[in-house]
Amino acid sequence: MGRLVRSEWTKLVTTRVWLGLLLAACLLSVGSAVLLTSFAGDPQSGIPPVGSSRYEQLAFAVPANVTVLTLILGIIGMTQEYRHRTATPTFLATPRRGRVVVAKLLAYAVAAAPFALAVVAVTALTVVLHAGARGGAPAWTGENLGVLLRSGLALVVYAVIGVGVGALFRNQVGAIVGSLVYLFVVEPIVRSIPATAGFYKWLPGGALEAMTATFRGPDVLTAWQGGLMLLGYGLLAAALGTLLAVRRDVV
Amino acid sequence: MRGLSKTFGQVRAVDDLSFTVEPGQVTGFLGPNGAGKTTTLRMTLGLVTPDVGTATFDGVRYADLPDPLRRVGAVLETAFHPARSGRDHLRVYCRAAGLPLRRADEVLDQVGLGPAGGRKAGGYSLGMRQRLGLATALLGDPAVLVLDEPANGLDPEGIQWLRGFLRHLAHTEGRTVLISSHLLAEVEQTADRVVIVGAGRLVREGSLAQLRAGADAGGAGRVLVRSPQAGELTRDLTGDGVRVETTGADSLTVTGLTAAEVGRRAFAAGVELHELRAHSSGLEEVYFRLTTGQEEFAASTPPPADRTAAS
Repeated sequence: MGRLVRSEWTKLVTTRVWLGLLLAACLLSVGSAVLLTSFAGDPQSGIPPVGSSRYEQLAFAVPANVTVLTLILGIIGMTQEYRHRTATPTFLATPRRGRVVVAKLLAYAVAAAPFALAVVAVTALTVVLHAGARGGAPAWTGENLGVLLRSGLALVVYAVIGVGVGALFRNQVGAIVGSLVYLFVVEPIVRSIPATAGFYKWLPGGALEAMTATFRGPDVLTAWQGGLMLLGYGLLAAALGTLLAVRRDVV
Repeated sequence: MRGLSKTFGQVRAVDDLSFTVEPGQVTGFLGPNGAGKTTTLRMTLGLVTPDVGTATFDGVRYADLPDPLRRVGAVLETAFHPARSGRDHLRVYCRAAGLPLRRADEVLDQVGLGPAGGRKAGGYSLGMRQRLGLATALLGDPAVLVLDEPANGLDPEGIQWLRGFLRHLAHTEGRTVLISSHLLAEVEQTADRVVIVGAGRLVREGSLAQLRAGADAGGAGRVLVRSPQAGELTRDLTGDGVRVETTGADSLTVTGLTAAEVGRRAFAAGVELHELRAHSSGLEEVYFRLTTGQEEFAASTPPPADRTAAS
């Protein structure tokens, strides 16, 4: 298994997809942090003022807003095998295809860690500098650090989910577009309709909110429950994908 | 391969196909496009699951081989990530097979791609892609090589190189090579044995020498003659199991006599000859007959003689 995981890392670092996604994730996260800090305390925005613990937790949860990019990283990691037809040499090297999926899950879980660390670090730095300039750099309390840590973990877990979604759908464009539609259209609707809002906490979006405690939304699980449930979704997709899609003929 | 069958939707792509590839030889796997060659090779390599039947290497299914890349190398299609360099592509599979990374450079040099190894595979010419595919197959130094239409897209020089390379791999290095093609001429100079399929079924299996002998036997006794006195010659030759067909104003096809005998009789009768040659039907002709016969099983097949006369 070790050599398969290393093979996946070689695949990852020998194209520049990861670099583009990392830059996009850092820019988006930093941009969100700057916007959040700029409008903090503005009564019309509803964002708590700089210096309040509620602002600090919101600001340190910003990296979790770009989980869609690690999701895409994982989706591309799996679906590129089909898109560029490298599934043929990959499955020739490893005819037991389940092992390929497991190797990708492990490889992307580990590779997403430094990715997440970079996003969290530049975001935290931005918040400290910007909020400091506006009169109150956040303190490194245990609570604040916990939010930062969980945001980073969310980025990692979403990369694992991406691999699972990719294994299930195989089609790169379909998997990415489908995920975007689900995350930004379907879930917000479920969340906003009272009849279905109670169900939201069991969905990936609700679980993500639970992880990063943005506390304004509806009823959610505890952070660790949310994280485990997200991981469960990723592994479930990977298992279903292995059984239903990856085993199909490569012609 | 034992009793392989595969159906895609309504199409029976491979139908109860069985054959054996002998070690240390080049086996040509021939058949027209759509005869099921690629499907058969993909079933052999565990990429496509057969409906019925098994394919094994020394009795072991491909998926059960402990180190498949070290046992079997395959060139199936040109499948690379376009943004990854040829060398990195090879390194990915070095890692997956637990091979040292220097193998990537070794096989690049072996197929003559050394200088282009650092370039992105997306920018490679078709010929370079085929070479990279071959390099991938050679990574694990396998004793068995399976190649699906490896000459597709190669220029004449590349085909020449490929033939020499395959001969070297099989005859000098003693590897077992199975190479598919829809053109007999492509494998005629390299293959020791051929397996011919049509419409998913086995048509003929045997050594190239056997096939050639069959071709000569099939054509023996047919002699093409051109003479301004064709009518007179027909009368002189006909009889005693000799058949003469008129195929043109001044041309005849004689069955049952050697060319020498036709010439002797014509000379004795004082008939002027403009052309006299034994008709050798050739391997290509035999291959064509075998495969068209199979394809148009129920339809009316034009008799091969007509085709020869027209050509």
